[in-house]
Amino acid sequence: MIEVRDLHKSYRRARGLAGFSMAVEKGEVVGLVGPNGAGKTTLIKTVATLLRADSGTVRVGDWDVAENPTMVRRMTGYLPDVAGIYQDLRIGEFLDFFAAAFHVKPSSRRAAVERALDTAGLTDRADEYVEHLSLGWKQRLQLAKTLIHEPQVLLLDEPASGLDPLARIAFRDQLKQLRAAGITILVSSHILADLADVCTRIVFISDGKEVVEHAEADSGDATVGERKFRCLIEFRENAAAGEIAKKSAGVRIVETAANRIMAEIDGDERNASLLLRALLDSGVVITHFETKNNDLEARYVRTFRRASENAPS
Amino acid sequence: MSVLRNPMIEKELRQRLRERRAWVLPSLYLVLLSSVVLFTYSEASGRKAMPGAVQGADIGIGIFMALIFSQAVILLLMAPVFSAGGITIEKEQRTFASLLTTLLTPREIWLGKFVSSLLYLVLLLFCALPLLALSFAFGGVEPKEVLLATVYCILVLAAVCALGLFCSALFRRSVHSTAATYALVLVLSIVTTILFAYLQERWRREPYESGMDGVPVYVQAPLLLNPLYPLLSLTSAGGRSDFPYPLSSCLLFGAMLLLAAAFTMRILKRSGEQV
Repeated sequence: MIEVRDLHKSYRRARGLAGFSMAVEKGEVVGLVGPNGAGKTTLIKTVATLLRADSGTVRVGDWDVAENPTMVRRMTGYLPDVAGIYQDLRIGEFLDFFAAAFHVKPSSRRAAVERALDTAGLTDRADEYVEHLSLGWKQRLQLAKTLIHEPQVLLLDEPASGLDPLARIAFRDQLKQLRAAGITILVSSHILADLADVCTRIVFISDGKEVVEHAEADSGDATVGERKFRCLIEFRENAAAGEIAKKSAGVRIVETAANRIMAEIDGDERNASLLLRALLDSGVVITHFETKNNDLEARYVRTFRRASENAPS
Repeated sequence: MSVLRNPMIEKELRQRLRERRAWVLPSLYLVLLSSVVLFTYSEASGRKAMPGAVQGADIGIGIFMALIFSQAVILLLMAPVFSAGGITIEKEQRTFASLLTTLLTPREIWLGKFVSSLLYLVLLLFCALPLLALSFAFGGVEPKEVLLATVYCILVLAAVCALGLFCSALFRRSVHSTAATYALVLVLSIVTTILFAYLQERWRREPYESGMDGVPVYVQAPLLLNPLYPLLSLTSAGGRSDFPYPLSSCLLFGAMLLLAAAFTMRILKRSGEQV
């Protein structure tokens, strides 16, 4: 759905992209991860037809971004990192403007606006001014605006930055719904937990290039669905618990105490269930059981620490 | 997409008319112009006491001239405020990226911004029409002259708005584009007048030239770019104007408008780098 080949883009004083290539299949949700200035925004802006690459090609669907920007815009929805909003318009007017700007036919515009209001959960507030919305609601409205012409591809640049935890969770749920609806999404974010939750694949980017993940030998590939994860188990003091856990399949003990175990479990979540059952069957009284989704964070640290170590000084 | 269906125009007009200045400015504008009428009337009628009393037609012409020049100057000062922020405001509010990734063409975006800034100035111009019509009561002014003054004003304001939008596309911040637009208006108004005065002085010093009938074209040439020139052509002594080239001046302002529009659209097409 998105094909980026050997993309180069430089600015007057900096390099944006240096031979970046990637492909995103239809229905995939790909997370772009990298430090500030890595080239994430440049990449998304280029795909969104805002920037012209110095060399290389970008295709969205059947269309080349440089040659057919209008067709690309027709099938993509772009949400910038700092997306401004027309504060002095009413919510309904704001959506109606973007529906018209995306050439939604006048006959179906009203339905498109109502659908967008429904998606954003703002049906009852269509006549309110945009400026009266909180940041979280504004972001929902922005996403609804981005979806108003029913794009097949979504380009989201730091969509959750500045949102409070509740708004972030709501936004993440919206992205999951879009993923379920088969929309292809390219999203950049520094909030790794959100990406791990939503994305089907993560691409690491640094200095305008894709960084090959420096995985540990036992860490597998970059697919989030096949990750390792950590598990925190707390129980009433039991000296045998650690030994029981060690014997469990696919489990590596990271940290152990008289009433607590931190274990690393191979990707299959059934292994966590088997560990829990083994502990319960041995009479260990469990007080807390929690899986920790920090695998992406660990991979990020590993990859970029190694990349910076290998960088020429 | 037709002009009437251009969503930019609707959005821009809606936003503009929701500003507080949308109703404050017309009020102030009319108060100012009314003062000009009162002042001109009292000045002109005061002369009645003197020998060779002033006729009603002279008062009418006086009011008409004072009004059209006053409103032209006021609107020329207001035009940069309304146009030079048109595109920079989108950059400052961070809405430009969203706008550029819609299916709106640079032409549609420009047209929306242009129509909204010009229409507001035209609204002010039309607000003053009843005051202008006062001059009919005294005589000496024909409807054709009122119509010409209005058309000239609109054309000049349209050109200044197009220049404002050009600056707005060029710069990132409203304060810079407004300053640049004022500088351009200043060049057109003051520099052309100074050039004209200089050329006229030189021409007058040449005895065989100054004997000619009227000021030659090359002396008036810089003045053709002065926003007030078309209005100057309406001033006449004995049915003959000292500034007889309003059409040339209008054509120059028309060309200025088209050029500024073309360059603005060109910049808009490539302005993804600015967001």
